[in-house]
Amino acid sequence: MGLLSILRKLKSTPDQEVRILLLGLDNGGKTTLLKQLASEDISHITPTQGFNIKSVQSQGFKLNVWDIGGQRKIRPYWRNYFENTDVLIYVIDSADRKRFEETGQELAELLDEEKLSGVPVLVFANKQDLLTAAPASEIAEGLNLHTIRDRAWQIQSCSALTGEGVQDGMNWVCKSVNAKKK
Amino acid sequence: MKLKRFLLRYYPPGIILEYETGGALKTKSIDLLDLSPETDIEELISEIRKSEPLITASRINQVKLLILRLKDKLSQQNDHRFYLFKELQAHILPLTNVVFNKSGSSFITGSYDRTCKVWDTASCEELHTLEGHRNVVYAIAFNNPYGDKIATGSFDKTCKLWSAETGKCFHTFRGHAAEIVCLAFNPQSTLLATGSMDTTAKLWDIQTGEEVATLTGHSGEIISLSFNTVGDQLVTGSFDHTISLWDVSSGSRRVHTLIGHRGEISSVQFNWDCSYIISGSMDKTCKVWESASGKCMATLAGPKDEVLDVCFDSTGHFIATASADGTAWVYSAASYQCVARLEGHDGEISKICFNPQGSRILTASVDKTARLWDVQSGVCLQVLDGHKDEIFSAAFNYEGDTIITGSKDNTCHIWR
Repeated sequence: MGLLSILRKLKSTPDQEVRILLLGLDNGGKTTLLKQLASEDISHITPTQGFNIKSVQSQGFKLNVWDIGGQRKIRPYWRNYFENTDVLIYVIDSADRKRFEETGQELAELLDEEKLSGVPVLVFANKQDLLTAAPASEIAEGLNLHTIRDRAWQIQSCSALTGEGVQDGMNWVCKSVNAKKK
Repeated sequence: MKLKRFLLRYYPPGIILEYETGGALKTKSIDLLDLSPETDIEELISEIRKSEPLITASRINQVKLLILRLKDKLSQQNDHRFYLFKELQAHILPLTNVVFNKSGSSFITGSYDRTCKVWDTASCEELHTLEGHRNVVYAIAFNNPYGDKIATGSFDKTCKLWSAETGKCFHTFRGHAAEIVCLAFNPQSTLLATGSMDTTAKLWDIQTGEEVATLTGHSGEIISLSFNTVGDQLVTGSFDHTISLWDVSSGSRRVHTLIGHRGEISSVQFNWDCSYIISGSMDKTCKVWESASGKCMATLAGPKDEVLDVCFDSTGHFIATASADGTAWVYSAASYQCVARLEGHDGEISKICFNPQGSRILTASVDKTARLWDVQSGVCLQVLDGHKDEIFSAAFNYEGDTIITGSKDNTCHIWR
């Protein structure tokens, strides 16, 4: 994916193409999720210092998924990628309770962004394969997801490692895109 | 008209005449694009005398010496082996483009971290960080040959003009409605052209910072643009599958629309003498167009996938194309025949360029390597290995003895 392909993915997408932005704190499992979606090997994943883009076919859509690094120093650059976003996927490490507050704050800021206004948001409560993982219901409550009124939202528990729950989440993504494009 | 002095230009070979007319100092060049170590000097000089009144009998010996020096330069053996001289932790996010100034003394890097940095080539020190853009700095340029100004085009829809010496921002050009993805200074360094995803190109006055013209007519994003050597024409390539040729001197009129490609345009360029334009396209071909008539002269086919970049060598004798299928192709610009096929990359080639001497080709690929090729034989001379992610851009300095590569791994490598 050279620079030119990135430009082509940048322009407002035709009807069958969907631009998905994958965000969340570092070590949340975004890149693992991306690779799981693309059916790629997930055994050697290192912290993302920039971004990864992959295209996957699902339910008649071409999903162009942008995985953006989540380390604190590069979070201010998330907004580089907001333009033309169809769906936001926010990934949370359900076992990292110490950072629930931080991740909630980042999500709240994203939902306030003008360029993302009205964009449907899917929250993946990831790492459910870990024993210490908080259930999706607890995370939803902690993040006050129920107060979101200005867009469609969904929380889905999943394990990017085993793949469990990932497809359910993507089904919701396609459903909400269908609803929006009609 | 009175001849004041001669200047030598190595690449492409030529002699610049500085002369006085009506009290003003002007220059014109005698291009010697066909000069080779075998050229008959006496014959060449008599030709020059016929066409150039400034070259009088008393100047013949001087001109002869200059041509000898050019011939010497041309016959120099080039077997330089490059090694990784320095890895610069240049940015905190992926790089977009890298560009040298004319002398090669400094270079600039653009990045997703919204900055452009100015580097000293010899010491590898960072001279300036050009901060101010609110989004990715995608397109960057020096106003070569002067090299005292830098232009940056950003996804924030603006373009900025900076002092290369102090890093100070002179102007912010506002007016585009979408990302700026290509830009170029005219050779006189009086105008800046910007191309945008908003389907327009704009011309800006360097001095005043004012918009001079908006070039409308494309129905798709403008992805590539380039001035000709004289600076009176601009060519733009678009995702709308067409190329437009604009007259920049007279109110920016569209002279020709070059129609024929069956896919998005990826790259456009003039040859040195401004007679031809080449275009690369997603339709897997490169086309050669005559600038005067706008006629398509040839379609260079071969690659099995999209053509992502095209370029002429400095004299305009050869054309090189880079493809998404991982191959690069070299064609003769005279016969349009394929001269060499460059095979070896393990993934798409996003950038291709000749060294100024025209003897080597440099390719940058998603396979994390850059490769150096011999133009005549098509043999891969070197694999520049070391980046940890895709290489987005690569460039030679004017001497052809230094290479810089910019990568998605946030670093810039200097090869000597």
